[in-house]
Amino acid sequence: MAKDIEISNSESKFLLEALRQNYRLDGRLFDQFRDVEVTFGNEYGDVTVKMGDTRVHCRISCQISQPYEDRPFEGLFLISTENSPMAGPQFENGNNTDEDEILCARIIEKAVRRSGALDIEGLCIVAGSKCWAVRADVHFLNCDGGFIDASCIAVMAGLIHFKKPDITVHGEQVIIHPIEEREPTPLGILHIPICVTFSFFNPKETEENIKGESNEEITVIDATLKEELLRDGVLTVTLNKNREVVQVSKAGGLPMDALSLMSCCHKAYSITEKVTDQIVQAVKEDYKSRNKYSELLSSENAR
Amino acid sequence: MSRLEIYSPEGLRLDGRRWNELRRFECSINTHSHASDGSSYLEQGNNKVITLVKGPKEPTLRSQMDTEKAILKISVNITQFSKFERSKSSHKNERRVLEMQTALIRTFEKNVMLNIYPRTLIDIEVHVLQQDGGIMGSLINGITLALIDAGIAMYDYISGVSIGLYDTTPLLDVNSLEENAMSSVTLGVVGKSEKLSLLLVEDKIPLDRLETVLAIGIAGAHRVRDLMDEELRKHAEKRVANASSK
Amino acid sequence: MSIIAQMGPLTKVDGSSLIESKQTKIICSVTGPIEPKSRQELPTQLALEIIIRPAAGVPNTREKLMEDKLRAVITPIITRYLYPRQLCQITLQILNSGESELEFAQRELATCINATLIALIDAGIALNSMCACVPIALTSKEGSDETLLIIDPSDEELKSSNSVHVLALELVDQCKTVKNVLLLDSNGDFNEKDLFNILESGEVEVLKLGKQIRHIVESKINSDITSI
Repeated sequence: MAKDIEISNSESKFLLEALRQNYRLDGRLFDQFRDVEVTFGNEYGDVTVKMGDTRVHCRISCQISQPYEDRPFEGLFLISTENSPMAGPQFENGNNTDEDEILCARIIEKAVRRSGALDIEGLCIVAGSKCWAVRADVHFLNCDGGFIDASCIAVMAGLIHFKKPDITVHGEQVIIHPIEEREPTPLGILHIPICVTFSFFNPKETEENIKGESNEEITVIDATLKEELLRDGVLTVTLNKNREVVQVSKAGGLPMDALSLMSCCHKAYSITEKVTDQIVQAVKEDYKSRNKYSELLSSENAR
Repeated sequence: MSRLEIYSPEGLRLDGRRWNELRRFECSINTHSHASDGSSYLEQGNNKVITLVKGPKEPTLRSQMDTEKAILKISVNITQFSKFERSKSSHKNERRVLEMQTALIRTFEKNVMLNIYPRTLIDIEVHVLQQDGGIMGSLINGITLALIDAGIAMYDYISGVSIGLYDTTPLLDVNSLEENAMSSVTLGVVGKSEKLSLLLVEDKIPLDRLETVLAIGIAGAHRVRDLMDEELRKHAEKRVANASSK
Repeated sequence: MSIIAQMGPLTKVDGSSLIESKQTKIICSVTGPIEPKSRQELPTQLALEIIIRPAAGVPNTREKLMEDKLRAVITPIITRYLYPRQLCQITLQILNSGESELEFAQRELATCINATLIALIDAGIALNSMCACVPIALTSKEGSDETLLIIDPSDEELKSSNSVHVLALELVDQCKTVKNVLLLDSNGDFNEKDLFNILESGEVEVLKLGKQIRHIVESKINSDITSI
């Protein structure tokens, strides 16, 4: 059916020559991350993230379920990243065996789930029999590169924004209070991982890259779709604000000098700081606009 | 795992190694000369890996053909008996294994001179008979050896190794007990350079420690390269001797 | 019924639309005509691939049923013989359901139909006629036998209703006349009189909505032309 998108020879030559002369087609600098726009829907945990033309929607939902037998004190957490032809004709519905799709799903899984960004012990209700099952559905709406970065931001913003209904436990019995009745409770977020993707281009011959001393490979942050199609190598670094490396994935591709990879990690940290603050700020502002009248209701006064 | 003393105050690890020592590394090539064009058998500690390279050959499917370069195909078979406890499922279509295959293909794609074998397929099979931590590194080493045995043109060796970080001490070439107890980094280093073809970090590591871990890893990978090189040269000498005595 | 619609919010597909109606929010993309897989190919006309994806969870029988109803509505209004051996992919992503998903699908279905129409126009696929669709609920007034008809019911109104309906009509002549009933999907307790009432009052609302959709398309085209 829909074949992989192909880029014409003249266009690819133009793009690569521009890179050699220090220009990107969208006018960004090599180490400039696209502006991130985070918007929330009406319900808790409904987030849309826009980075340039890339658009990702994430919806967090929860329900009561049974914990795994070998982990009675932990809740369940699942991230689903399924592609649909909406993002572009190169994606097929229900087919997630494509190499890039597997890498994308695995990186988000490692960045958010394995790193323990969500406190799953806090999802336990009755040990061994009842727990919350939290689900993050990532929907790719428009693809212009940077899916991993955008969906990681979307999942984390969704988890921070989401609130689960309050519950009361009487022995084995659990009462769920609808969110209209009682103020719902937020999830426990232990840290905020942010993914930053670097793309590498080799301006010279392969031999120079492997044997040469010059290290003249071009490194570009947050590639667009066209740049992604033409790149020789890719590195995704996931960091959090505590200066911890959560996950690094350079699955082959253009061999790169260890020192330049280290400098990528340091560059990623400054982006991580900025984006983390932006997410936290966006959630705060959304909560504020929801509780416009809460100040009138509160019993505090200006004494 | 807290019962085990991963790194003793005297500076010894669980299996008696010091922090900067590799595990026993033994390899041989041309082990399956009738089954494939190139083969290798590798033991890195308790990791045991057989690698078979078939090709460059004509692709069976038209869709596997590229007029510009050879197509590289790598399939990893992790046997059900490879760990202490027999696994119930075959690992074939697990996402973790698919991810490993993709990473391996992308690592070797840039290192093998695919452009000199257009319209062909290079088919690599890796069988993991036993695994004991740092399996990704062993896979890389096994494939490098088998590709060399097959006589396929490459730019340089790629050697793989895993390094763990215990508190502030990097531990070279981790085994599975160590791997489960701490976070580790896997490297694929090109030849004797400082260039990394593969870099995987799956657990939390402080950003400021990463550089020392990489430095130890690169040194370890260079040592692995030398061990492989030694074995290859020995093998080649034997062959030359055999050929000239006839 | 009033909707807020955006035509062409997505850039990597041939046509797209984003519709908000009360709490329901759906984004739709259309790609086509493109080359189909051989099993999808129809020798004389355009094949349609319709995918509806829920906001949370995996697609279920509920979504499959909606896909089927949507296909029944959309197939007759596309000029399919113009595109033999071609495929049109229609993907709908529900961003917010706006109703209790376990019981109802009326709001989603109606919004899906309207969204698909706008996206098809945006993609430039040839259509025979327009269509528009509204959800309707019938409730009984307390203490009397009289039934009350609610156009575009909210979630609470759906829950308290006796029967729920979805009405899609084919519109021609600049959305002034109704040509055909494309879909009348009814669930619940109602009688013949109610049904005719639905068709009668529904028609007025559908015509109104049809004009609104026309207006949305017109203003988008106007703004595109002036921006050139």
